[in-house]
Amino acid sequence: MFAYVTRRVLTTIPLMIIALYVVFIGVSLTNDPLGNFYLCLPRCQEGYDRIVEVYNLDVSIWVRPFYWFSDALTGDLGDSSALGLPVSEVILNRGKNTAILAIPAFLISATVALMLSVYSARRQYTVGDYFFTTLSFIGLAFPSFVLALVIQNIFGVQTEKWFGIKPFNTGRMSGDGFFPLLRDMALPLLTLTILSISADSRFGRASMLETLGQDYIRTARAKGLPERRVVWKHALRNSLIPLVTLWALTLSALLSGSIVTESIFSWPGLGPAFLQALGDTDLDLILGIVLFTGVLTVLFNLIADVMYGVLDPRIRLN
Amino acid sequence: MNTQRRGRKVLAFAAATAIVLAACGSDDDGDSGETDTTTEGTGGTEGTDGTDGTDAPVDGADGGTLIWAHEQEPPDLHLDDPENNLSIVSWIRSPLIEGLYGVSGSTEYYPELLDGEAELVENEDGTVTANYTLRDGLVWSDGDDLTADDVKWTYDTIMAADGEDEDGNPAYIYLLGSRQGLDTITDFTVTSPTEFSVTWSEFFAGWKGVLNEIYPSHVFNEDPALAAAELNENLRDWTTPAGETIPSSGPMLFDSWEKGVQMNLVTNEGYHGSNSPDATNKGVPSIDGVQINFVTDTDAQINALRAGEAQIVMTQPQLEFEDLAASEDFTVSSSAGPVYEHWGLNVLNPHLSKPEVREALALAMNKAEVMEGLYTPLFGDSLPAEGLGNTYWLSNQSPYVDNAGNAGYGKGDVEAAAAALESAGYTLNGDGVYEHPEDGVLSLRVGTTGGNRLREIQQELIQAQMKAAGIDIVIDNVPGADYFGAQPFSEDALLCASSGGAEGNCDVWDIAQFAWVGGPWPGGNSPNFSTTIGESPYGYTSEEFDAKAIECDATIDDDARATCYNELDAYVTTLTVDPNGLFLLPITQKPSFYGYTSTLATAGVAPDAQGAGPLTNVGDFQFAG
Repeated sequence: MFAYVTRRVLTTIPLMIIALYVVFIGVSLTNDPLGNFYLCLPRCQEGYDRIVEVYNLDVSIWVRPFYWFSDALTGDLGDSSALGLPVSEVILNRGKNTAILAIPAFLISATVALMLSVYSARRQYTVGDYFFTTLSFIGLAFPSFVLALVIQNIFGVQTEKWFGIKPFNTGRMSGDGFFPLLRDMALPLLTLTILSISADSRFGRASMLETLGQDYIRTARAKGLPERRVVWKHALRNSLIPLVTLWALTLSALLSGSIVTESIFSWPGLGPAFLQALGDTDLDLILGIVLFTGVLTVLFNLIADVMYGVLDPRIRLN
Repeated sequence: MNTQRRGRKVLAFAAATAIVLAACGSDDDGDSGETDTTTEGTGGTEGTDGTDGTDAPVDGADGGTLIWAHEQEPPDLHLDDPENNLSIVSWIRSPLIEGLYGVSGSTEYYPELLDGEAELVENEDGTVTANYTLRDGLVWSDGDDLTADDVKWTYDTIMAADGEDEDGNPAYIYLLGSRQGLDTITDFTVTSPTEFSVTWSEFFAGWKGVLNEIYPSHVFNEDPALAAAELNENLRDWTTPAGETIPSSGPMLFDSWEKGVQMNLVTNEGYHGSNSPDATNKGVPSIDGVQINFVTDTDAQINALRAGEAQIVMTQPQLEFEDLAASEDFTVSSSAGPVYEHWGLNVLNPHLSKPEVREALALAMNKAEVMEGLYTPLFGDSLPAEGLGNTYWLSNQSPYVDNAGNAGYGKGDVEAAAAALESAGYTLNGDGVYEHPEDGVLSLRVGTTGGNRLREIQQELIQAQMKAAGIDIVIDNVPGADYFGAQPFSEDALLCASSGGAEGNCDVWDIAQFAWVGGPWPGGNSPNFSTTIGESPYGYTSEEFDAKAIECDATIDDDARATCYNELDAYVTTLTVDPNGLFLLPITQKPSFYGYTSTLATAGVAPDAQGAGPLTNVGDFQFAG
């Protein structure tokens, strides 16, 4: 297994370098940090010269990424011009805020989706199955920004008008203490879990249905095993394999920051930071977040690969 | 079974629709559609009952924290760092740090820290001296006196240099984009705690804009060079080298900043008072403080306002705010902003080199229609319905003259446009587009920063107007800020402009649509319009214009200088002075959207200008009782 993991990591490094190089060139070609200075020359020549110096604009665009690479190798990801902090500090602080939302969202959505999958698969074509299927489709049909705004409007604005109580804020991570924090994260958490449950439950239902149709399940039933044991001990484990792949991607995506949900709820996570970096052409922060996202994706995919072996003894990593 | 499934699907759809409709149903207020707007010229606000917002509050109550929802969070508070020149930084700093002059709602200078206007003296050797007197009783929030020594120290710190750079220029330490107006000061003399004089080697017309923020010398190093380095570091999080908050000279004091969430200011209880002509309460604000919430999404801002989690917004006009403006719980107090949109013409283009073609464009353009399409429904009469007709003065500034309008431009006069084109030898072809026997079809590209929907709507409106006049306009946008370097300010285009077409590439762009920013001193525009005194992309060259620009900038009397700039504008926007002029078509100022909820009894005037913003007259904010 160690060799496998090592091989995977070593293979990823050149891919990451290529990806980062492409991102650097792409962003540089489509954005000009001197854009606003053309309008005030020559009186702002001093400012113009400073920007040229800070962004190495006097160097060929094809060579500039290597300045970043050489700093990154020493652990220096540069400073974020959009947020006024070292990039590593931004990723740490904003990543922590994102994790505060992402981890509970993942745990809740994975648990609920799993339970819904089992229920829907065992009670296929019943009223309950249709009900949850409908809810899933509604959740899938809603664009994330629409869902977030609807939830924000209903629970953040309208509840006070309808009932005279205001249980939630419309956004911001302003809570000082556990319960205020819970209050602030409730709505973005609800949004993220709805989106994840909608997708995961459909996937899980299909996987569980396929597993329940296998011969060994029929054999287990024929042997007289309790249905609960058949489902939870024998079928669930095998139906989890495709779900694990989905969960690996979901968790890495959640931890990379939900641009839409975090922006709408003004949650100071990696999502709005990345958005601001794009808007302000903050190259250092863009590259730092891309690197962080890449590492997360590789890591969780590796974990998924390992989990396959745990779930299915037939799969072993050499 | 199929019927059952279909029925259940219909039920599910109905349930979903009900949820969405319930969420989207909002105000059950009457849709009067009325918005309160600023009074003309002063930028003052109006209360919901139509009274001037500067009236004494009737139902106001002291206390409370004013919450301002804003989409842009600054990276730091060092405004002068060229990497950070965001308006939000200057708006946050405006109630913290005052300068010799402030900017009013009518985008004009007024003496802030000064006791009246400075006295200008022309010296025999050609230099000009300004004699300043500070107001009595000026004091920092920590109790120290604000004196002329602070002013001189600020100047010395800004100009402190560490040797020279490779080009032989001073290697200034304090990060600043431009030292125009400061680098020609030859003498700075303090004669008393409240009196000092500044001498320039030659008159600088923008002299009121220098030293627009005075720093507290008593909390930084005495040595200007060391202080400059300290300021570069400490202004970012608004602390002194000792780790304390920088003392304020304004009505607010910086309190805390939770990055990504909010910034907090508290009232400066020792505030010495304001000289702002727009303020009713010139003393200590009645509110306890200001909380700036960083709410990036526009719809989320609206929800925050509706939920009572914010009281004021000041932002770019957004279509989403139309509904809010119609609400009785919200007051829109718009004003004419300092930014104006224009069409700039490349006079080295074969068609645009002909004054008749440029005039045809000016005649065919219907600015009132553009205003109606973009701004009038939401912003009422805060902007002139006929659009903007001057590139030096803004419509809300007292010297403003509608030069373009007076020349008959901007009124959609298609017949006059046709006559102009035909006089230049153009004839209508079978496609309804004018064509020149040598230069071909009159087809012109107009480019702008793509992705800006309001700007694109403006393009489309004018494109249709030009089509009616037989001019084919092709929209050719480039995404974002890259537009400038790709088109009008590209190396090839600038080379073409500066060489009169002999070098570079004159075919990079035809018509540029973007915004210039006006201000209390418009003379800074002149280098934008001339290839010889600045980096102008338009290709216009005129010794007369250059001489006039120098003459205007050298005119000491404010009224005479204002008149001179109007005369200069005639070169830019008409053919009345220079038959080879008319290369800029000003279209409209952008309105400044400023609104507040009914939880406020009164709100302050919010000049939309660098160094101003919604907290400039923060003393006038008061919560309803």
